[in-house]
Amino acid sequence: MGKSQAVKYAYIVARVRGMKSKLIPKEMYPKFLNMDIPEITRFIGESEYKSDVDELGKKYKGTDLFEHALNQNLALTYRKLIEVSQNEANYIITEYLRYWDIWNIKTILRGKFSGASEDEILEDVVSAGQLRYRDLLEIIKIGTIEGVIAALSKTPYHPALSGYKGVLAEIENNLDKMYYAGLIKAGESSEDKFFLKFLKTEIDLKNLKILFRMKRAGMEREEIIKLLIPGGIELKETQLGRLASMPFPEFVRALEEFSYWKAIADISGELTSLINIETRFDKYGLINITRISYYYPLSILPVLDYIVCKKMEVDNLRMIVRGKETKLPEEIIKAHLVM
Amino acid sequence: MSIKDNIKPTRSELIDLKKKIKLSQGGHKLLKMKRDGLILELFEILEKAKDIRSEVEKQFALASLKISIAKSVEGVVVVKSTAFALKDTPKLELQSKNVMGVVVPKIEASSVHKNLQEHGYGIIGTSSRIDEAVDSYEILVEKIILAAEIETTMKKLLEDIEKTKRRVNALEFKVIPELGEARDFIVLRLEEMERENTFRLKRIKG
Repeated sequence: MGKSQAVKYAYIVARVRGMKSKLIPKEMYPKFLNMDIPEITRFIGESEYKSDVDELGKKYKGTDLFEHALNQNLALTYRKLIEVSQNEANYIITEYLRYWDIWNIKTILRGKFSGASEDEILEDVVSAGQLRYRDLLEIIKIGTIEGVIAALSKTPYHPALSGYKGVLAEIENNLDKMYYAGLIKAGESSEDKFFLKFLKTEIDLKNLKILFRMKRAGMEREEIIKLLIPGGIELKETQLGRLASMPFPEFVRALEEFSYWKAIADISGELTSLINIETRFDKYGLINITRISYYYPLSILPVLDYIVCKKMEVDNLRMIVRGKETKLPEEIIKAHLVM
Repeated sequence: MSIKDNIKPTRSELIDLKKKIKLSQGGHKLLKMKRDGLILELFEILEKAKDIRSEVEKQFALASLKISIAKSVEGVVVVKSTAFALKDTPKLELQSKNVMGVVVPKIEASSVHKNLQEHGYGIIGTSSRIDEAVDSYEILVEKIILAAEIETTMKKLLEDIEKTKRRVNALEFKVIPELGEARDFIVLRLEEMERENTFRLKRIKG
């Protein structure tokens, strides 16, 4: 990595290191497991989430307040990253956080599709990307799916949306593919090749999750291929095609030749549910980004590590509180914590 | 008031009564057979009802677990947003079938348990937690529909068994004995009238 590259990221990495130090340490999660919901809420209400809990306290109660406060904090944190970053870092962060814009567009389209009210849709959007809350509010006010698509005609999402023929799943998949294509483009244009490596690993993990789900559901090869994202590091197109055409048990055995196998090796025998497999892949992804961010401390990777860790913090807190609320056994909650 | 008070002790009445007794005995035999058949049918349905009830309970527990995991791991926001993607409701067609004269419902359900690609949401941006919650609730709805069919059939069979039992008992312990009594009464009266006639003729001759 050149000196100019290191200088480019020095500021944002310093900011992110400061922000990361405020994340809840992983030693706290076992303690949360022994606390009741009001105790956890109180702890969170006195932490970095205080202002969000106070602001939303009038609108929501109990675990709903907890979840919405976590989401709002996540959105504000990510927006802050977009605002404080510059040049290449800003470009990569914006592209990475486009996930949330896509999420919000999908939620609005789904809401319009099922005839949900504006308030119902608004509750489910998380303004953590480029689209601000007020932009989303304007889009939500539009009455029809066609109107929403027309309102987004000058955005990068329009090519993916323009093929809408009454089936939401199709344009949702197009949007997600567009997201990964945009990320690959950002990775290729960046001098930071480690980012591209991280990205390609993420794509591999995503493809593996899709393959598991589609194979378990007994889908045909052609249908699976249509959904797979090109650009993985280990799972190239030929491998993906081969895996897609195998029956489920053979497919699972064939994964032994890839490095991702070690993430799921011990649970591959019990495949009645894929939930544990997905959680293992999520953990693998988190470990991967944390590990490589230490190797390359003055690159985009520590920023992405922070983005992933912040998301995991929110997910873990919600897992514990919602899990306790719905009386999930402690071992299930523990198994789904990604640390 | 006894049945004897309303009957005329004539030969034609005796013939009518004998026909009624025969008809009642035939009906009684048939109704007894129907009752026994219905009871056998009920026992079969009862086993199915017990099985489906426990299956519904098990599936409900599984669906609750899956939705709890989805809500906890993905968040309520994600679960709600994904649920918006589907607005189709299951289609139910209500037909009827005949079990030994008892009309019971037959429910045909379509588009309840869908395949992964028919769930309405995109596959790439969602997870297996959502798939499994959706799947388990779809299976639960299917089982509830089956349970509704079986339990309604059981209820209708029980009502009909009760009705048939009352009819069998009424025929066995009331109608047939009373008709028999009336028949015996007419036979007795006719014999007496015969004796009176013989006695009267003998007196005239004498």
